[in-house]
Amino acid sequence: MQASRARLFKEYKEVQREKTADPDIQLVCDDSNIFKWTALIKGPSETPFEGGVFQLAFAVPEQYPLQPPQVRFLTKIFHPNVHFKTGEICLDILKNAWSPAWTLQSVCRAIIALMAHPEPDSPLNCDSGNLLRSGDTRGYQSMARMYTRLAAMPKKG
Amino acid sequence: MMGDHGNSEDEYVYVSDDDDDISGVDDCDDDYEADDYDDNRDEFQAVDVSIVTGPSSKVITKESLLAAQREDLVRIMDLLSVKEHHARALLIHYSWDVEKVLAVLVEHGNDELFAAAGVKVVEHDDGPSSLQFSSTVSCNICYDDVSATEVTTMDCSHCFCNDCWTNHFIVKINEGQSRSITCMAHKCGAICDEAKIRCLVGARDSDLAEKFDRFLLESYIEDNKRVKWCPSVPHCGNAIRIEVDELCEVECACGLQFCFGCSSEAHSPCSCLMWKLWSKKCQDESMTANWITVHTKPCPSCHKPVEKNGGCNLVRCICKRTFCWHCGGQTHDFYGCGRYKDKDVEMDTQSAKRDLERYMHYYNRYKAHTDSFKLERKMKKTMHNKINKLYESDTSSKDFSWITNGLNRLFRSRRILSYSYPFAFYMFGNQLFKEDRKKKKQRYEEEEEGEEGEKKKKRQKYEEEKKKNKQLEDDMKKERTIKQDLFEDQQQQFEANVEKLSMYLEEKFESYSEDKFKDWKMRTIALSVTTDNLGRNLYEFIETDLLGCFKDADHKIAPYKSKGVEKASEHHSSLGI
Ligand SMILES: [Zn+2]
Ligand SMILES: [Zn+2]
Ligand SMILES: [Zn+2]
Ligand SMILES: [Zn+2]
Ligand SMILES: [Zn+2]
Ligand SMILES: [Zn+2]
Ligand SMILES: [Zn+2]
Repeated sequence: MQASRARLFKEYKEVQREKTADPDIQLVCDDSNIFKWTALIKGPSETPFEGGVFQLAFAVPEQYPLQPPQVRFLTKIFHPNVHFKTGEICLDILKNAWSPAWTLQSVCRAIIALMAHPEPDSPLNCDSGNLLRSGDTRGYQSMARMYTRLAAMPKKG
Repeated sequence: MMGDHGNSEDEYVYVSDDDDDISGVDDCDDDYEADDYDDNRDEFQAVDVSIVTGPSSKVITKESLLAAQREDLVRIMDLLSVKEHHARALLIHYSWDVEKVLAVLVEHGNDELFAAAGVKVVEHDDGPSSLQFSSTVSCNICYDDVSATEVTTMDCSHCFCNDCWTNHFIVKINEGQSRSITCMAHKCGAICDEAKIRCLVGARDSDLAEKFDRFLLESYIEDNKRVKWCPSVPHCGNAIRIEVDELCEVECACGLQFCFGCSSEAHSPCSCLMWKLWSKKCQDESMTANWITVHTKPCPSCHKPVEKNGGCNLVRCICKRTFCWHCGGQTHDFYGCGRYKDKDVEMDTQSAKRDLERYMHYYNRYKAHTDSFKLERKMKKTMHNKINKLYESDTSSKDFSWITNGLNRLFRSRRILSYSYPFAFYMFGNQLFKEDRKKKKQRYEEEEEGEEGEKKKKRQKYEEEKKKNKQLEDDMKKERTIKQDLFEDQQQQFEANVEKLSMYLEEKFESYSEDKFKDWKMRTIALSVTTDNLGRNLYEFIETDLLGCFKDADHKIAPYKSKGVEKASEHHSSLGI
């Protein structure tokens, strides 16, 4: 408990110090609970998520960093490795490939990389996975772009 | 069959004039005194055929576990010149199969062998590293700056502070992953040095460090293909290690005999799958079987179980015989009903009944022999007393080991006999070997096709083909019937001998006159030898003629052992630990 708190506090200070270092990621700690974090990440360019801003919710376990944080999308996203309803993310580093050397910041970076490089063979969103697996990249991109526009972009007017 | 006794473990060989030798039965080391029986036309000779191969199984007790494991560790450490934790990681990865480790080494080389098991052998000297020149190091996990004396570097050269390492180890040990704790660095799969783990964890929680050691030790049993826990309940604490690759039955130091393949009671000549199905079936059917005994009565003419459906006490068997439920008489006029409505029995019920009858046939015999076995076991004590009596009397020979051997022969044969019934139930039933039989039929057909492929194309031959097909099916059925007959002949002969042996051994030999005693001795030894041979023949027939026809790996049986299930010997370390 004490170790995880100390580590999270250090990550918090790091985030404050390097706020401008990574313009694509904005990590915010909950005011009253250091184990709850949210992040805003920018959809990577040259992907159907470009132009969108996606919100992630972090629930950090007491054993952190020995155990990985639980992360899910709060913003709707059409992606093979993200559950369409719950926002749950299928990413190896959040499960068995976790290493205590990861930080919340680096997890965000890994998620951005996943957005750009989906893994259609382990889909949480079967519709999306099937489109990619059947080679219908255009179909996938137009669906993903539509949901980005609907859910991840500020409403104009 | 004759002449291969050099391979069997018999110590006594019976030599007759025509040079046919029959192996005797004896577990004892004492020499048999042939002189005492010179009035017999044949003579017994003591021939010590020492066992050529070493013991094929060993008991590993809690105490010898460490030594047994060290032996394998040291072998790998010596052969590959690696440290202990590297050797252990390799052996755990390859299920403690030293041969396999060496095979991978030869085939794929050091690098691949080590990489697969997460072993990183880095050529860095453990001497003062650059770390020690700077007084503090920044730990990449807790982000603390810690003194250079408070950090630990693993073989993969990743370095973190001792606190972080310790936390990591504790989580992994509690998660039950003691056998493969890897480095904390991202994408580094290196197995951590167990000595460092032990040291760091021990400093915080000595109980957990002990637990860690126990987990490592138990890996030798749980991850090892050649070692199994004895399945005794309550557990005797032992494990058995076998030195052979083939399926076998072993006896633990606690006396439990079990099949090394499936860890249930020794069950040959049943295969493991047959035994599993049989045990399950016995459990399932025990309900039905009880129901039968409670709710049915044997028909007075055909002896099939007849079920009473309804309150009427005049029941009718499928053989058309009607009888009174109470007394078995033909009628029951005094009940005043006198009429019996004939109900159409559905075909389904008929076949289900037939299946059940078939099962009951085998089950009853299986059960009878199991019961006899239990009863005969009690003879052990009375026999002991009888033999003691013989010692006191003034017989010329004081060697009565052949009596005990005869008794042991009876025990073993009785068990074989009881397991031969579930074996036959599956061997000659329709449940197993379906696929094999289909394949066999296809093979026959293909052979036929090859010869007469030309003609087959012609339409007018169609009828002939159909006939041939029918013929083929009939042939296969015939073959099965012939084999079943042959098997049952052998089984029945074996059974008759076992019963006879049981009778002989129950004789009041302790009060026999000397001549009568000698006669009894000759009969008993000869019968014991015959029974041994019949048992061996039965196994051979099962292995080659019955199971051998099906290339089904699921149906291997433990080989026949003249002396019964081998007692695992105590493990003696070659390292002298
Ligand atoms: Zn640390
Ligand atoms: Zn490492
Ligand atoms: Zn035991
Ligand atoms: Zn078995
Ligand atoms: Zn009848
Ligand atoms: Zn009646
Ligand atoms: Zn009656």
